[in-house]
Amino acid sequence: MFGRLVKESFVRNPRRKLLTAAALVVGMAVATSTLTIALEVGDRLAREFRSLGANLLVTPQSDTLPVEIGGVDYRPVNEGAYLSEADLGKMKTIFWRHNVLGFTPFLDVPIAIQQSENAAPTRTMLIGTWNAKEVPVPDGTTFKTGVSVTHPWWKIRGRWFRDGANECVIGAALAKTMPGIVPGKVIYVSDETGVNSVQDHSTLAKGTPLEVVGIVSTDDAEDKAVLAPLEIAQNISGHPGKFRQLFVSALTKPADAFSERDPLKMTPTEYDRWFCSPYISSIAFQIKTVLPGTEVRTIRRVADTEGNILSRVSTLLWIVTLTALIAAALAVAATSATTVLERRGEVGVMKALGATNTLVAGIFLAEQLLLAIAGASMGFVLGALLARSLGSSIFGTPASPRLILFPVVLGLAAIVAFTGSLIPLRRAAHFNPAPILRGE
Amino acid sequence: MATLVRVDDLRKEFGKVRALAGVSFNVEAGEWIAIMGPSGSGKTTLINILGGLDTPTSGQAIVDEVDVARLDESGLTRFRAQKIGFIFQQFHLVPYLTAVENVMLAQYFHSATDEKEAQLALERVGLADRIEHLPGALSGGEQQRVAVARALINHPKLILADEPTGNLDEANEETVIQLFRELHSEGHTILMVTHDPAIGNLADRRIEFAHGRLVKVTPSNDASRNAYR
Repeated sequence: MFGRLVKESFVRNPRRKLLTAAALVVGMAVATSTLTIALEVGDRLAREFRSLGANLLVTPQSDTLPVEIGGVDYRPVNEGAYLSEADLGKMKTIFWRHNVLGFTPFLDVPIAIQQSENAAPTRTMLIGTWNAKEVPVPDGTTFKTGVSVTHPWWKIRGRWFRDGANECVIGAALAKTMPGIVPGKVIYVSDETGVNSVQDHSTLAKGTPLEVVGIVSTDDAEDKAVLAPLEIAQNISGHPGKFRQLFVSALTKPADAFSERDPLKMTPTEYDRWFCSPYISSIAFQIKTVLPGTEVRTIRRVADTEGNILSRVSTLLWIVTLTALIAAALAVAATSATTVLERRGEVGVMKALGATNTLVAGIFLAEQLLLAIAGASMGFVLGALLARSLGSSIFGTPASPRLILFPVVLGLAAIVAFTGSLIPLRRAAHFNPAPILRGE
Repeated sequence: MATLVRVDDLRKEFGKVRALAGVSFNVEAGEWIAIMGPSGSGKTTLINILGGLDTPTSGQAIVDEVDVARLDESGLTRFRAQKIGFIFQQFHLVPYLTAVENVMLAQYFHSATDEKEAQLALERVGLADRIEHLPGALSGGEQQRVAVARALINHPKLILADEPTGNLDEANEETVIQLFRELHSEGHTILMVTHDPAIGNLADRRIEFAHGRLVKVTPSNDASRNAYR
């Protein structure tokens, strides 16, 4: 009988039901699309943010204070500590290894450049790094990484040097001061200490010949330096297989109060949750574990910007979702109130015959839930289409529908229908049958 | 006969309006009482209180040993479902349920539905061929007979009828009144509000109200009963 009452109640006054269903469809479509985008926005934006470059910097823990000017380390090569290039494959063995998109070691060496063997030397820095290095990983695979991943905004005219070759690229500012240096030209680089100790340039030890293959613009200190394969810098500095700085580009989730907590003070459950979340702090911790003796610092400027934008976008999406749900609930409330008033006489008869408040409320609630299911189903389909379209316009690729959201949307629709109907339902359940039956 | 209804100094006020001003009377089980009086004299208020649709301001209204005045909302709901059979002037059938479903509705609120029993109840009131009809497809008299079947289906202790023939033409009125006669002869206890003295005469007693007070109790006799058309 309950089913019969609900069914009959459901099919009556279809116009009103359509209005309620339409409110739910619109609300659920907006909720589905924003939730779909919200689920994707983290990954999508994080990947977009990776164009900002590295967000972690690894340095030796026992290092001396760097003498950095404009990001270039001017310490003499025999000062400070070094890290081993051979350990870098371990970066792809951490728990969040798939979130490590790239890493590039740097070794800065003060050098002298000569355009020919007897030419006057120019003092500058040689920055040894990787262009596109195939790094052997302990599991037997290799991982290709280099400045193109960690510093993607650097612009190259010509081409990048090949790792392991006697090639280099010249910073744009340096190239301007040395007009003779153009791609195709060979320069000679040697340790600056040699230049300091020799007054007669003709007696200078013959430097390492490097073919200039490109001019790089970084809008930073690298514009005044020579960038060459790491191996060259290691040989000139006399520290084979070593480097000083490692820039890491990792996909992370925005930092929150929990991510900032000291892992040593966490409970085992909290620690597991923190460790298994791609917070920048937990990835830094994991890198430190595989590269002992290092200090892993967050490049705050990048990480904070990412976190702020992600948080704001997420907040905006939540506000839109909440607004759509509230609007749907208000529309449901308006139609429910009218429906309840219309069916006042029917409720009065049922109550006179002995229907309990719960039963009366149950009939209306079941009807609202049926509408919620219909509204959620249609809203989910519409929302998925909307998300595809929004995904295409915002990220360039359509957001794929997430079936896991369907039960969530169903639940939301039920909550909206229930919340919207709550006051009218309470009113219906507590109708006094006597005045209704008198026709008042 | 045992007393089924005991009303003692029953009062009901709606704000400053006094609907019942200290009414007292008893109804024996199996009695048919006609409640008469002008509009606004308190007849419907009395029926509503005895049926658990309303609560008195003071006094007692005991039906089958249950003091209606002491029941809370859920107690009143159970009381209505278990002890009372209502028949209204406006029939008050649920428009989207068939005749048999309207009868089953009362069963559902009481305990469990039994379609066969509901059909028998409709056959009993002469509607065997109208079982699957919606109220809109039934005449006024037929609708009222469905209401009678609905009122009887749970074997109530007390049948409360508020102007049951008020909306019927003469032919349908006779059919419905004949049903009440049969119910009375079967031993049902009936309290019926009516304006029609001829129908009132069919009852065992006529209780007349004026300004919320019981002003006259008149036992009927065979002569008055036979005076009905």
